[in-house]
Amino acid sequence: MRLSSRLPSRSEEWARQSIALKGSVVLGPTFSLGILGLILSVLVVRPLRAQAIGQGFELERAGQYDQAAAIYLAALRADPTNLSALLGLERVLPPINRLGELLPAAQRAAAASPSNVALRGVLLRTYVALNEPDSGRAVALRWAAAAPGDEAPYREWAMALEDAHRHGAARDVLLLGRRTLGRPGAFGIELAELSQLAGDWEGAAREWAAALTDAPVQLPNAASALAEAPDAQRERIARLLTEGTPSTLTRRLAGELLLNWGQPLRAWAVFEPSVATPSADAAFAARRFADLAGARSTPDARRARALALARYADLAPEVGGAAARARTDAARAFIEAGDRVAARAVLERVAQDSNAPPDAQRLAQRAVVEALIEGGQRNEAAQQLATNARLSPDDRASLRLRLVRARIAAGELDRADTELARDSSVEALALQGWIALYRGRLREAQRLFLAAGPYAGDQRDAVDRTTMVALLQRVPDDSFPELGSALSLLAQGDSLRAVAALRLAAARLATGESGGGGGGGRPDLLLLAGRVAARLDTLQQGTALALFDEVVSTGGQSAAAPAAELEWARLLERRAQTAEAIRHLEHLILTYPGSAVVPEARRELERAKGAIPRS
Amino acid sequence: MKRREFVWAVGAGLLGLRQPVRLSAVPSLLLPMDDAQGDHLKAYGVTYRVVQAGIKAEWLLNYRGGSFLLPDGPAIRRDAALAGVSVEPVDEAQVTAIRGEIEASNMDAVPLEKAPKVAVYVPPNAPPWDDAVTMALQYAGIQFDKVWDFEVIGGKLVGYDWLHLHHEDFTGQYSKFYVIYAGAPWLAEMVRFNTDAAKRLGFGTVPDLKKAVARKIRDYVTNGGFLFAMCTATETLDLALAAERTDIAAAFADGTPMDPQADAKLDWSKALAFTGAHVEPNPQIASFSDIDGHQVNAGPRRQPLGAFKLFNFSAKIDPVPTLLVQNHRQVIPDFYGLTTSFLRSRLKPSDVVLGDEEGAPWVKYINGNHGKGTWTFFGGHDPEDQQHQIGDPPTDLSLHPHSPGYRLILNNVLFPAAKKRELKT
Repeated sequence: MRLSSRLPSRSEEWARQSIALKGSVVLGPTFSLGILGLILSVLVVRPLRAQAIGQGFELERAGQYDQAAAIYLAALRADPTNLSALLGLERVLPPINRLGELLPAAQRAAAASPSNVALRGVLLRTYVALNEPDSGRAVALRWAAAAPGDEAPYREWAMALEDAHRHGAARDVLLLGRRTLGRPGAFGIELAELSQLAGDWEGAAREWAAALTDAPVQLPNAASALAEAPDAQRERIARLLTEGTPSTLTRRLAGELLLNWGQPLRAWAVFEPSVATPSADAAFAARRFADLAGARSTPDARRARALALARYADLAPEVGGAAARARTDAARAFIEAGDRVAARAVLERVAQDSNAPPDAQRLAQRAVVEALIEGGQRNEAAQQLATNARLSPDDRASLRLRLVRARIAAGELDRADTELARDSSVEALALQGWIALYRGRLREAQRLFLAAGPYAGDQRDAVDRTTMVALLQRVPDDSFPELGSALSLLAQGDSLRAVAALRLAAARLATGESGGGGGGGRPDLLLLAGRVAARLDTLQQGTALALFDEVVSTGGQSAAAPAAELEWARLLERRAQTAEAIRHLEHLILTYPGSAVVPEARRELERAKGAIPRS
Repeated sequence: MKRREFVWAVGAGLLGLRQPVRLSAVPSLLLPMDDAQGDHLKAYGVTYRVVQAGIKAEWLLNYRGGSFLLPDGPAIRRDAALAGVSVEPVDEAQVTAIRGEIEASNMDAVPLEKAPKVAVYVPPNAPPWDDAVTMALQYAGIQFDKVWDFEVIGGKLVGYDWLHLHHEDFTGQYSKFYVIYAGAPWLAEMVRFNTDAAKRLGFGTVPDLKKAVARKIRDYVTNGGFLFAMCTATETLDLALAAERTDIAAAFADGTPMDPQADAKLDWSKALAFTGAHVEPNPQIASFSDIDGHQVNAGPRRQPLGAFKLFNFSAKIDPVPTLLVQNHRQVIPDFYGLTTSFLRSRLKPSDVVLGDEEGAPWVKYINGNHGKGTWTFFGGHDPEDQQHQIGDPPTDLSLHPHSPGYRLILNNVLFPAAKKRELKT
């Protein structure tokens, strides 16, 4: 069930606009300037007629169609060419199954004013709605003969047929009109829509491509309509639009569609020639393509966006700094896409451009340092921070912290520490906490994380710190270098070695070798190792299962035991061992009823049993 | 105080007891159905499975939101714990006190003795919308079979105690989706599928097939079946029954236009719930008749949603309607469907109104008898999706475990389990 998404037919739209006139009389074109008395009498009568029509509208809005029809019929008795009344009857008579009464009124109106296009339209629509095709055809052809070269008769005829859901007949009418008028591109949009309704997506694509020649502004509509094509039709549409030597607009249409359908690099390859020749239109198109690509966050989409922005930068006017800003945006997009080489190339053009405005220069300088950090060239980045006078103080400060984060992630703890010297911001406290942690100074790390609070970095950073604090609270040792090293390996992305190191650290806890109380925190370390291993290959997943088993078996009443059983069940579910997963989830719920993970476990259980949809 | 004899059945092992005992002498579990309950919907499933195992349970009408009293046992506790259903162990003294309160108040204790065999009428190639009842059954863990035209025409309904109809158009007009979704691939497939079924079953048109199916369903109720219908099925079932010899289908459904004199030719004596309705004559308006009060897809006729209120009945005198309205909420937000509500003026005098919107000309939830059986109609599509649209993701009931609207659905599922002699009114 759905709110009617059907777009109003043209006749309905026109009728609504007529209602919006609200009581004012629509003067027919045959209104004549006669003698003064006649003028005065009309001027007196007009408000009365307007009042009557207004009453009709009100009755119609209240759903009293019979009474409204009576008002409109009375108005037509006084003035057979009253368009408002005719349109009113056209609206109210069908719901009360009296459409047939409109026909004589429409015939009289058209006979009284044969050149009135609106009245012709009413008569034509009435014949079609009453399923009198021959009469409708006769009216339409007479209209076309009276107005050679006018598309309106065929368009109105086709719309009436569409409203009656006779799409095939509507299509035939439009093709007839196209042949008669001698315009191969006429009614392209209408035919495209009809083709689409009939499921002929290739036909729709052909029509849209042809229609764009006369109406290039329809490109967004064409892309939007064709984007709805079913998956099975898309490749055919793409091939149809790109075969041979497609026009500029057709290339742009194909490019937008391929972007929409998740093929950004192919989209760019198809689109690029359409913006090869510099012009304002090409610049606008390139910018539009970049914006559309920016709506997607895949690596290919980012690259396509970067390429489009770089092209736009070449087409944009140099005056005012638009080109320099575009290059900076392109460089950022290349960085996001992982193409640092291309990013550097673009940024160097900006950096060397002495005419680039100061803000664009600043952005470019910042982007250069970001690119160096992301590219692993941390020492070069540090050099830039130390010597580049074109960086603003704010940029320098935030980039320095970013560099520290990168050094920590790379295990360069001493360099990171040095670069944080004398910085007492909460961001710096948080980073010092990580340095302390990876050096194994657990209590110091805990203190620093708590001091940094929840506001350093983004939400993910805050969650990571809180997770670490929760882990550290369970480990009794103040200093534990082996654990620090294991966590550092994890931060560097060496998950395999991290798993082994965490297991080693857990073993040391068990034997008391770590120096602390002995045993405390061991299940939590094993749980962490298991979580890491569960994300790796099949062999490591087997290790994860064994680790979870150990935590559940030996974890006692610790929080780690139910958490491990939940992870165990999740891993089994991923490995399609659903029955086993269900068994573990049930065990968890029954054995640890007070655990905080029970609601999650219950939801996983429902999902595994198919009791709720997978989402 | 009424005493219930408790007879051992197949599930004796579940209780770990070997001798016949009175329910009140066995430690019991109370499943409260007021705000103390952790998962109202799954509580029905726990109770259903107990009854399915051959163990008698009781439904305490109007006691703490319509609670259930089950014998205590490790398996039942396990089932409840896994489902997140709150239980309260009650000893003999507490049970006695409960029975005393029931006796002295507008409450009653109805034994539940046989789990109904449930069938849901749904085509094999499910259309792109959801069925609130199948979602409720799946969530609560209540088994059901799917049946469609082949099974109904083939006389297979006799094997079921409870039949559910939802988003089906028994006038054979594909819910009039032609008006809105013409050209949609799923609609074309629905037309093809139904046309093929009509041919294979020996009917000239889909409307003729659906009318025959409607008559079979009516016969099922006449012979003692329990029918629960929601959404379009409510209105179109009765229209199909009343239009046995009248063409009320548009030309796109059977090739011929609707009989212009259809209204005068409808025989409402053949219908279950409604009478005197006017069929929508315009095939381009997405409405079937004026039975539906809200007319959601009929443009300017569409009415806004309000809330509906459940009626109170005398539990001891009218156990059936009392049972059907058991809830922890009296007032429930309304929700749209292709048939959202039922105009009061179109109800038969024998219909029992279970819930309505105060001051509005329509009602929401009705019930009645037909022959030896019972029907219940509930307007709307999904109680937790007020403005459901085709293609929307299905409702995740784990996010609505206390849904009062879904409780009404599940009341109907357990209804046939109630001991027959208790339900005579």
